Amino acid sequence: MRWRRKRRSGSWIAALFLFFLVTVPGWELFLRPSALAAQPLPHWNARETAVPPSPSDDAVLGRPLALALDGERLYIADALDCAVKVFSTEGRFLRSIGRKGQGPGELSFPSGVCVSGGLIAVADKLNFRVQLFDREGKAAGGFKLPFAPDRILALNGRRFLVTSNPTAKRAGEKLLHIYDREGGIIWEGLEPRTSLDPVKDAFRNMILVCAGSEGDLYVIFRSGERTVRRYSSAGNLVEAIDVDPAYAFRNVETPDAGHGRLKLAGFCWAADFDAGFFYLSPPEVLDGKDLGPGRTICVVDPRGILRSVVGLPCAVHRFLVAGDRIFAIDDEGSLRIFEVDR
Amino acid sequence: MKKFLILSLASLILVASAAPAVNNQTDCNTNHVKCREYVLNLDEPWYKVAVMLTGCDVAFGKCMLGI
Repeated sequence: MRWRRKRRSGSWIAALFLFFLVTVPGWELFLRPSALAAQPLPHWNARETAVPPSPSDDAVLGRPLALALDGERLYIADALDCAVKVFSTEGRFLRSIGRKGQGPGELSFPSGVCVSGGLIAVADKLNFRVQLFDREGKAAGGFKLPFAPDRILALNGRRFLVTSNPTAKRAGEKLLHIYDREGGIIWEGLEPRTSLDPVKDAFRNMILVCAGSEGDLYVIFRSGERTVRRYSSAGNLVEAIDVDPAYAFRNVETPDAGHGRLKLAGFCWAADFDAGFFYLSPPEVLDGKDLGPGRTICVVDPRGILRSVVGLPCAVHRFLVAGDRIFAIDDEGSLRIFEVDR
Repeated sequence: MKKFLILSLASLILVASAAPAVNNQTDCNTNHVKCREYVLNLDEPWYKVAVMLTGCDVAFGKCMLGI
């Protein structure tokens, strides 16, 4: 009798569990996080918005390396023209900031740009410094760096994140550096991966950085690792988000480049973070033996689950997402603007 | 005597080859860093990048050896 009662209560619990499993939304995801990936992903199309032509030669981008948005203005760091080109969000060219040189207001191979507190901060790579400009394009100070800066992001509390590529020439090199606006170092972290092969190391240490919504930042390795690392604005590692296996590596083995065969597990060509979602562009396999920029952008949620794929009409090298709009740089180095139909 | 000759000849060669190398070391390093940064920002397919990075390393080696 006692045994029967026990069995009955057990079956009741099982029935209740099954009931919740079937009826309560989200339970399936809780038990099987990749359940969504198994379902066909929604595919969003990107409609292109025509960029108005400009009579000015300055509107032509030489080698655009970074984009930043501030309200209605889009800033693009142009390394070849040694300037920051300013466009409206409709793509109309407004002005050019900076010129080639080493003095105040002059740039040499600008590779990163961001906007913070009304100031435009530029990673002035070959001058080994960060230069600040006001909105009118006048030089507003800056600070020297002991390395060639790569990308720059604005963080909370008047701080900047500056990234660098390791050179193996300085002891204790780091990939991430947080500075205050006066150039005081606040934090340095993320040690580069080193081996005896400098070419392999160059690929293994290629990172992408995105600003989070709360002043935090995300770091994504372009190859070999499928995680997104989240750091606080003080430099503390908050979490490492594993990206859904449905977002596959693009593996290639490049032919001999003097260092034997180089196996590359390409993960991400370009990335951005907007409104709580990661936008990761997987590299595309070219002729079965190389990796280049891709024609898709994968939308990944903060838990790492792949939510949808945005198809683009062309390969994009860099992009910036703002709501339903994607500002991208294509193969020709031209600005392209897309509206996403969700 | 033979040992002394070999040693002095070796030290002469070393000093002679080291002098210009030391002078150029900073330039070599700076140019190597610039070369790599330039290549890494080309945004070209990775095979091409790998070949060009190798080119930077070869150029750096030649610069350090004064070739």
